[in-house]
Amino acid sequence: MCVRVLLVEDDERIRQALSLALSDEGFTVDEASSGEEGVRRSAEEPFDVVLVDLTLPGIGGLEVVRTLRTRGDLPIIVVTARTDPGDVIAGLESGADDYVTKPLLANVLAARVRALLRRRGPNREAVRIGELEIRPQEGLVHRAGERVHLTRTEFRLLLELAGAGGRIVTREQLLRKVWGYDYFGDTRLLDVHMRRLRRKVEADPDDPSLLLTVRGAGYRIGS
Amino acid sequence: MRLTLRCRVTLLSGLGLLLVTGVLAFTTWTLVSGSLLAQREAGATREAEAHARLAGGSPTSSGLAELLAGPDSSILVVGPAGVVTAGRAVEPSTLPPRLLHHPPGSARITVDGLPVLAVARPLAGGVYVELSALRQLDGTLAVLRAALVAGTAGSALLGAALVSQAAKRALKPLAELGFAAGRIADGDLHARLPRQDDPDLAVLAARINSAAEALERRALRDARFVSDVSHELRSPLTTMVNSAAVLRRRCHRLPGAAGTALELLTSEVDRFARMVADLLEISRADQVDDPPCRVALDALVRNVVATRTPVALDLEPAVVLGDRRRLDRVLTNLLDNAERHAGGAVLVSVRPRGSSVRLAVEDAGPGVPEPLREEIFERFTRGRNGDDPGSGLGLALVREHVRRLGGRVWVEDRSPCGSRFVVELVLRSSDG
Repeated sequence: MCVRVLLVEDDERIRQALSLALSDEGFTVDEASSGEEGVRRSAEEPFDVVLVDLTLPGIGGLEVVRTLRTRGDLPIIVVTARTDPGDVIAGLESGADDYVTKPLLANVLAARVRALLRRRGPNREAVRIGELEIRPQEGLVHRAGERVHLTRTEFRLLLELAGAGGRIVTREQLLRKVWGYDYFGDTRLLDVHMRRLRRKVEADPDDPSLLLTVRGAGYRIGS
Repeated sequence: MRLTLRCRVTLLSGLGLLLVTGVLAFTTWTLVSGSLLAQREAGATREAEAHARLAGGSPTSSGLAELLAGPDSSILVVGPAGVVTAGRAVEPSTLPPRLLHHPPGSARITVDGLPVLAVARPLAGGVYVELSALRQLDGTLAVLRAALVAGTAGSALLGAALVSQAAKRALKPLAELGFAAGRIADGDLHARLPRQDDPDLAVLAARINSAAEALERRALRDARFVSDVSHELRSPLTTMVNSAAVLRRRCHRLPGAAGTALELLTSEVDRFARMVADLLEISRADQVDDPPCRVALDALVRNVVATRTPVALDLEPAVVLGDRRRLDRVLTNLLDNAERHAGGAVLVSVRPRGSSVRLAVEDAGPGVPEPLREEIFERFTRGRNGDDPGSGLGLALVREHVRRLGGRVWVEDRSPCGSRFVVELVLRSSDG
């Protein structure tokens, strides 16, 4: 399978270098030099993943991510030169699935993309947790009979927790299984996604009853 | 060793008080005891005079016995016919000769260990001597003496204690100044001296505060400069490392000098990128952390090591409070360092020790010579082998992170060979 990547980056040299290196990794890379172009092209053509630089002229990277997210669950990786916690969290809150900081290496980026695109795991029976019904085969989640729209990343996060059947899943295990990170001390990625997931599946996201935090250990699904 | 100001003030005031009250007590003692003795003596003299008259010319022992005042008293009449005594036996030779040969007179003497007052009166052809016990008076004087000594010592101690308290209060602003100055010296650039009411101290505090502000501004400016430079380098570096990756794949197509040059170029680009990443990290190292959380150190070590070349582990449960990312970087950098300079770590251990926990990374490399053990934690100190691919910031970052975690790091010898890098942190609990 050939993976099509849309690279939204205003710096021409970086665009070229990343395109070349990602092509070496076996991806087909399309380039967009502005946020507007990125939004337009992703609507016209089917891409597997979008890489968005956060500091774009015109409509900024965050805006691009938000727009793409309203359209569907297309995997998005944010590329940023800033590593301030605020920027990273803002990018993830807007709906990005993952982030990388410059100077990024194409092989690292490629590993992240592959992790995001990995198949949804073995076929499993539908799982019911309280009002929640997860159908892994169709990739559907219903709450009290109503469909809940999750991104692929959110879906896999939920599935990993549901699959553990109430046992604790550590942060490291989740990062490894969902994002393909070897081990990464930074768990903000997970925190933000868990917050987003709770907003979608919990009756009261501030007082979760399904996705429970186990202090100092990780998370588990509530029965 | 020189005593502290407070000690000296306390000691001096205590001594001064002791001197003054001592003189007062001594004077009181002299006056009171003198007057009591004089009274007693006058009474005894009057009594002896009366008794001497009653005894008459040639007294008998039984006659004298009737005149005795109490069991401890004695009367002696030394006449030409000899000595007649009554009451407690007293040898005339023990009496002062002055009394016997030149009456009248009186003297305080001790007979058989008891204080007595001896009064001598002339008698026709002899001397009448009456000894009366001073035990009661001595008892009174002993109580007085004890009271005066206790009073003197007590007032000196009380005075010293009061002065010590007053000095403590007076010196408290100085102690606060010292504490804040110490925090600034320890690198807490936000620390300021508390505002002082005392005009003398206010000037001092203001000066130190303005110096601290200048220092903080300068440190911030330096940090921002490093951060800005590193940020600006990120974009060209992204282009460079990715172009280098593309070139490296095709390296074999460029034989000879061009190929070698290309290899040099690409590996230096990678090193450059690492250096910038470390520089950025070190310029961020002083930034405020997320709130510290409980981290199981043994689990963290297992997670970090799981992604690397396998290494022997000796882990005991230990929970510390801190920033997970910092702990992760500390261990990663120590393992990188062992790989780069000592052929890899041979053992990673976590062991609680009293109120702290030690994380140690051991290697079987050449070891770190004594004079370099402090230096290697400085920025841009590299190993002696010329082809060191590190950024020269790895151990400096370790120290910076460990400092922010409230611990310390050092390197020591490992037997039989190699070195052991030890990170000591405060232990929260060891129950896993």
